[in-house]
Amino acid sequence: MGISKNINNHTLSLVTTDITDFEVEAFVFYAREDLQLGTGFGNAISMRGGLTIQKALDVIGKANLTDALVTGAGNMKAKYIVHAVGPKFQEPGIEDKLKTTIFNSMKAAEEKGIKQLAFPSMGAGFYGIPLPVCADIMVTEIKDYLENSATLEEVIICALDKREYNAFKLNLDNLR
Amino acid sequence: MATKDRSYKAEKVIERLGKKLNRQVVGSLVGCVHCGMCTEACHYVLANPGDPTFAPAYKGDQLRKLFKRHYDWTGRVFPWWVKAKSVHTDEELEELKDIIFGKCTNCRRCSINCPMGVDLATFNRMARGLLVSVGIMPEGVAVVSKDQWEIGNQMGVLKEDYLETLEWMEEELQSEFEDDPSMTIPVDKEDADVVYSINPREVKYDPRTIADAAKIFNLAGENWTMPSEGWDMTNFGLFSGDDDLGGSVARRLYEKVIDLRGKKLVISECGHGYRSTRCEGPNWGQMDVPFVMESSVITMLNYIKEGRIKVDKTVNNESVTFHDSCNNARSCGLFEEPRELLNLVVTDFREMYPNRSENYCCTGGGGAMSMSEYTPHRLKSGKVKAEQLKATGAKYVVTSCHNCVDGLTDLIRHYKLDMKVTQLVNLVSEALVLPEKKVTIPEAAEAGLLAGKKILVVDDEPDIRIFFTSVFEDNGATVFEAADGDEAIEMARKEKPDLITLDLNMPGKDGGQVFEFLRKDDELSEVPVCIVTGRPELRRLIYDRPVRPPEGYLDKPVDEETLIRNSRKILELA
Repeated sequence: MGISKNINNHTLSLVTTDITDFEVEAFVFYAREDLQLGTGFGNAISMRGGLTIQKALDVIGKANLTDALVTGAGNMKAKYIVHAVGPKFQEPGIEDKLKTTIFNSMKAAEEKGIKQLAFPSMGAGFYGIPLPVCADIMVTEIKDYLENSATLEEVIICALDKREYNAFKLNLDNLR
Repeated sequence: MATKDRSYKAEKVIERLGKKLNRQVVGSLVGCVHCGMCTEACHYVLANPGDPTFAPAYKGDQLRKLFKRHYDWTGRVFPWWVKAKSVHTDEELEELKDIIFGKCTNCRRCSINCPMGVDLATFNRMARGLLVSVGIMPEGVAVVSKDQWEIGNQMGVLKEDYLETLEWMEEELQSEFEDDPSMTIPVDKEDADVVYSINPREVKYDPRTIADAAKIFNLAGENWTMPSEGWDMTNFGLFSGDDDLGGSVARRLYEKVIDLRGKKLVISECGHGYRSTRCEGPNWGQMDVPFVMESSVITMLNYIKEGRIKVDKTVNNESVTFHDSCNNARSCGLFEEPRELLNLVVTDFREMYPNRSENYCCTGGGGAMSMSEYTPHRLKSGKVKAEQLKATGAKYVVTSCHNCVDGLTDLIRHYKLDMKVTQLVNLVSEALVLPEKKVTIPEAAEAGLLAGKKILVVDDEPDIRIFFTSVFEDNGATVFEAADGDEAIEMARKEKPDLITLDLNMPGKDGGQVFEFLRKDDELSEVPVCIVTGRPELRRLIYDRPVRPPEGYLDKPVDEETLIRNSRKILELA
């Protein structure tokens, strides 16, 4: 199951899959400022990728809100992970911060020469950003970026379940 | 946004409180008359009699004062009279967190004892949700919630680990049932009559419960399956108060059952999982569920009543009591069925008092097991439960809830009770009477699985000799019988058998003496011997002797299939 949109000869796709077990060049992990992988997707990254990822993050130490940085993906199917520190739990200015985080994720990927990048639903779910808000911002930001991107050729949004898939599909269907 | 005298998070909590108010919550917020009836109902109060902050009415007041201040006209007109008060700082929210997460398990015992119908647990859960929405929660709640949001189950079990565990349990089953091809754990089978969902704790810490359930489904001849995804029927949204999590988790499970075209969803023994999936999930997920949902307790009970499985309760002859899970009993009315089932599979059931909807919390509910910072509170508050358990004098406490298993296990350890915890699925599995299987004879061995073999059956019980002789002869063997030790030696010397089945407890020379004689006899020392006894303690009659141990050992009673299989194995025919 999945859909794709052509954006200025680049592709924006939507699939339902576990992003940490997905064959893709790089994927975005919604990171904490202390760069500890923690639980959820972080747990899956630790289990499937091995210790090297957290060690690489420990060398960096910490990151600021909206920062995005790239590490290897250890033993995972992906080659790289973009660790993006997004807003959490109803903090002020959440929409602008989310937009900046998404932009910085793609920029960091491009600087690394990455052509294919997968996103989870950024900040929705545990961190409480309402799913319709998340879907609207993500689809708009990714579309705008792909229209002018030099290196990045394909962005894939990985929905966890039908609820997420349908929210993103609504926004993708409305893309012109 | 933050105001001059209020933090951003406090502002958001107050704002969201207004959106969460419905008739049920407002009724509970305004209904309390502080009569104190709830006080004696709460296990926290009973264990901390001098501390009023544990009283349900006090705990309720912490949210009630906010409601009065911001959403009730009385608080606006005469706030001093109705004790209306706002919240201003993040520190105050942290204090509220320690009350609503740390001093209440949402067990609802106070709710059913309130003459005004105040349901503290309902708005305590709502208050938890308000704090979670601004990121204020115990670390354990955050850990578990994030795992359930992103991995799909609350213990972070990866899909490959879950599937490997199912394969492992299937192998264990097939090993137990001699490669019986019907002993499987089918995954993602479409159009099954039963889709079985479990608690990730079973995968991580107690896979035996999965194997036991699979054994029961297979012996009942059920057309069943387990889903590869959306298999977690637990739901931390119930504990954290996050309705979005509750709805997402419930929908994932419902949608998987629909994708598989399953006819019934059976929920393994888990109190909060049962309540979340069967009772709350359709509301949280805003979804009409087009299939039947049932606790595995009821499924197992029906299998027995319908004769689909047979049980022998004498197998479970230790004293047993039953602990009612709060979510099963108080919130879902599931308390007679487990007792009915229990009485079918154990011989010595002892009720604990009080029981059913009045039973006390195990102290592990409401997510308490994941909040280690409150462990001392939790264990102290378990005093009343420990006294209840001890008074039964039972060796086992049975519960249909995984949280209760862990909560009770902790209490038993802390209060040094001589007791173990188990679940109904384990007891039913233990009590199963396995159907007698006709030993099928391969075409290539039509003459018999033991054709051409001479077997000496030694036993002082005529019934045993007749049964063994009949089975062996039906399978092509020539059989000789001996009723005591002397006759056994005489017959062995005369007939030179290929195999001797030897009872231990016999008049005259006992089995041990006969065995030693055979092993030391030049002509008979290589004849394989299979010990058959109903008294395992007599093994010393054999193993204490300075001779080679026997080739086989069977405990009475022995069924036909086991006898043939072991005999063929000893004779190297298998």
